[in-house]
Amino acid sequence: MTKGNRKMSVFKAFLYSISLIVFLASCSNHTYEPISSDISLAATVNMKSMSVTFIDVEKREIAAEWQLEKPYTGGIVFPDGDTFLLYGKEMETADLFSLQTGEKKASWDTGKGIVNAKVINDQKEIALVNQNNSSVIFYDLDGEKLAEAQTESSPLSIVESEEEGVLFVLSFKNQTLSKVNLKTKKTIGDYPIHGAASGALLLEDGTQLWLGGHGEGATIEKDIHVYNASDGEFIKKIPAPVMPINFLQYQQSIFVLSHGSNQLYKMDLDGNIMGTVKVGANPFELALTSDHTLLVAGYDSNDLSFINPENLEEEDKIEVGNGPFKIVLREKTE
Amino acid sequence: MKHLTNTLAKKLWLTVTAAILITILYSYFLSYLFYEKLYVEDIEESLFEEGMALAEDYEGGPLTTELKEQVEWYNTKSDSEIFIVSNPRELSACLPFDIDYETLIGEAEREELLQGNAVFKEGFEERFDRNIMGVIIPLLDQDRLEGIIYIYLPLAKITEITQDFAYLWMIASFLFLIVALGTGAWLVKRLTKPLLDMKQAADSVSKGDYGVHLNIQSKDEIGELAFAFNHMADSIRREDERKREFLANVSHELRTPISYVKGYSDALMTNMVTSEEDRIRYLHLIHRESGRMERLVGDLLDLSKLETDEYRLEKMPLPLAQLIEDALQKYGSTLKEKKLSLMKNLDPDIIINGDEGRIEQVIQNIMDNAIRYTKEGGISISLYAAKNGCCIEVTDTGLGIPQEDLEKVKQRFYRVNKARTRSDGGTGLGLAIAEKLVQLHGGELLISSKVNEGTTVKVLLPVI
Repeated sequence: MTKGNRKMSVFKAFLYSISLIVFLASCSNHTYEPISSDISLAATVNMKSMSVTFIDVEKREIAAEWQLEKPYTGGIVFPDGDTFLLYGKEMETADLFSLQTGEKKASWDTGKGIVNAKVINDQKEIALVNQNNSSVIFYDLDGEKLAEAQTESSPLSIVESEEEGVLFVLSFKNQTLSKVNLKTKKTIGDYPIHGAASGALLLEDGTQLWLGGHGEGATIEKDIHVYNASDGEFIKKIPAPVMPINFLQYQQSIFVLSHGSNQLYKMDLDGNIMGTVKVGANPFELALTSDHTLLVAGYDSNDLSFINPENLEEEDKIEVGNGPFKIVLREKTE
Repeated sequence: MKHLTNTLAKKLWLTVTAAILITILYSYFLSYLFYEKLYVEDIEESLFEEGMALAEDYEGGPLTTELKEQVEWYNTKSDSEIFIVSNPRELSACLPFDIDYETLIGEAEREELLQGNAVFKEGFEERFDRNIMGVIIPLLDQDRLEGIIYIYLPLAKITEITQDFAYLWMIASFLFLIVALGTGAWLVKRLTKPLLDMKQAADSVSKGDYGVHLNIQSKDEIGELAFAFNHMADSIRREDERKREFLANVSHELRTPISYVKGYSDALMTNMVTSEEDRIRYLHLIHRESGRMERLVGDLLDLSKLETDEYRLEKMPLPLAQLIEDALQKYGSTLKEKKLSLMKNLDPDIIINGDEGRIEQVIQNIMDNAIRYTKEGGISISLYAAKNGCCIEVTDTGLGIPQEDLEKVKQRFYRVNKARTRSDGGTGLGLAIAEKLVQLHGGELLISSKVNEGTTVKVLLPVI
């Protein structure tokens, strides 16, 4: 083979690979692995590997894995149990997929900056937190934008009070808790809170707001800050080192996940520690399945742990994609 | 610049100096690079080992105060800066939350550390506000990055050491430069001295002093040049001597007939001669001597013509036997007069490419000599084919030539009989002319002889 010929063939191979990539890219837009509706799912949105790992929580095994093309950071499943909305801070749109078909159904032009999402208002609306615009955007389930409520800068965590019909929005940078009326979609009040707040829990009785955080600057957050839910008054600090950022109430227990120390705390409603366990590596996410199992995703350990909420025993551990950042639950529908 | 390079010595010196300087600079930069590289690698390695040794004390779980204190204590004793960090914030644990904080390690570094690999740092670190070289050792409890040991050296410390090295190098190279330049100058002088000697010797030769001799012992190109120069000076000297000798010979040969002519004509003019018989005898003598002068001048002219490059032979195919026959015709009476026999044995088939007149002149000159020096007996001439052509062989039974003179008889004016009279009549140029002509024909003239037995002259010529 002469030098010229070799050059030609390299060039041809290059052209083929380019066209193959284009072809694959255009194809892959269509379908992901479909997931049957009769599976109770826990999906982890994995930031580092840009993927979603779907886990059958009953069988405690991986049901499917979607390798995504965009840097999604989180998602929610709609009340229909099929529509899977994925968002990412760096993305202009939030994309909706059907779990059952694996196809993309729609895209919402949300603009960049979406960092959190929640199904609210009696499961009829979706609230999307836009950190770039410092706002919460409300959509109905059909993708129609209902309103946009301005908040203090850098909103991150949201928690809904169905009884009061308000949405609490934590400002990450501004030491402020905003209250948004879910009917009017307007901000109805601000309360001063601690800095770098992240993670919020409204106790089931609706009286207290438990807020976590990472800590400001070089200082590390070691405590849970408890506020009065109605007037925002600071009540107390509950030590839960280090960096408590995720909460969950199960019956009369509060579970607190501290990612700085990889600790899962079990507390009573007064904040007395009833148990603690080390779980995962740098865990960010905590969830409770319908069959009463706690799920903890280790961001650095790339795994999902199944914890018994009674005795905090780790029952199972499943390897997921790299960097699980969100756990999304879906109940089986049949 | 011109005055800098107007002598070979200066040029050589400049070349040597430049070469030395370039070598020093080049080796400096090269070794500086190597030194720095090796040194830096060495430091990196030792920092890594130091860090790893400290990390061995970590037994898993959250970092204990004891370990932290140990590292702090070690830091006070060590040359390098060492600290231990367990703050998850500094370790980029909150990274996905986009925290507005300049962490100690970045995302990629955290990933590397989570894999259990050490991270090497070199360059400016904003946290320390200076250039550093450092190693970060992960303290891992399974998948959990519980902390790190950060160990570093400010780069300034390293460059300080390389600076010391640079100073040392500069001093050493300066000393080396002085020594090398001194040695170089001495070498250049030694190299160029024979050339200067040769120049002076050439000046002497051009002024006529041919006796100079260069005493250069070296066997290199300069030695060879000196040898060639000596040889040339020697040749010039010998040529000069030959020229002087030739002039002396010519003057000598001419002086005798001139004194004859002058003496006898003086006698005739002053009427010292009384009888008519004497007058006629004198006139005969004058005529004979002027004839000799004519022949001498003619031969000299021939010889000088033959020695110029412009002389051209008019060559044509010649039947050599016929030519010899014709040339011998005129010797009939002379041979009869001297009562000498002539034997001929000529191969009629030999044809050469030659100049008729010149070949005849060769035969004539040889025959003249043979007849001249043969008192009794005879002369034999033969022509036969030889190895590379043909051979004309003339043998006489004459006086013969002593062995020591045999080589020289072909020289101009050379005579075996030094105290000769002019009675034998030769000009002393005959054989020289004959040999020259034979050489111009691409042949060879050889003489062999035995005293009192005779001489044999062989003329070897190429044939067609």
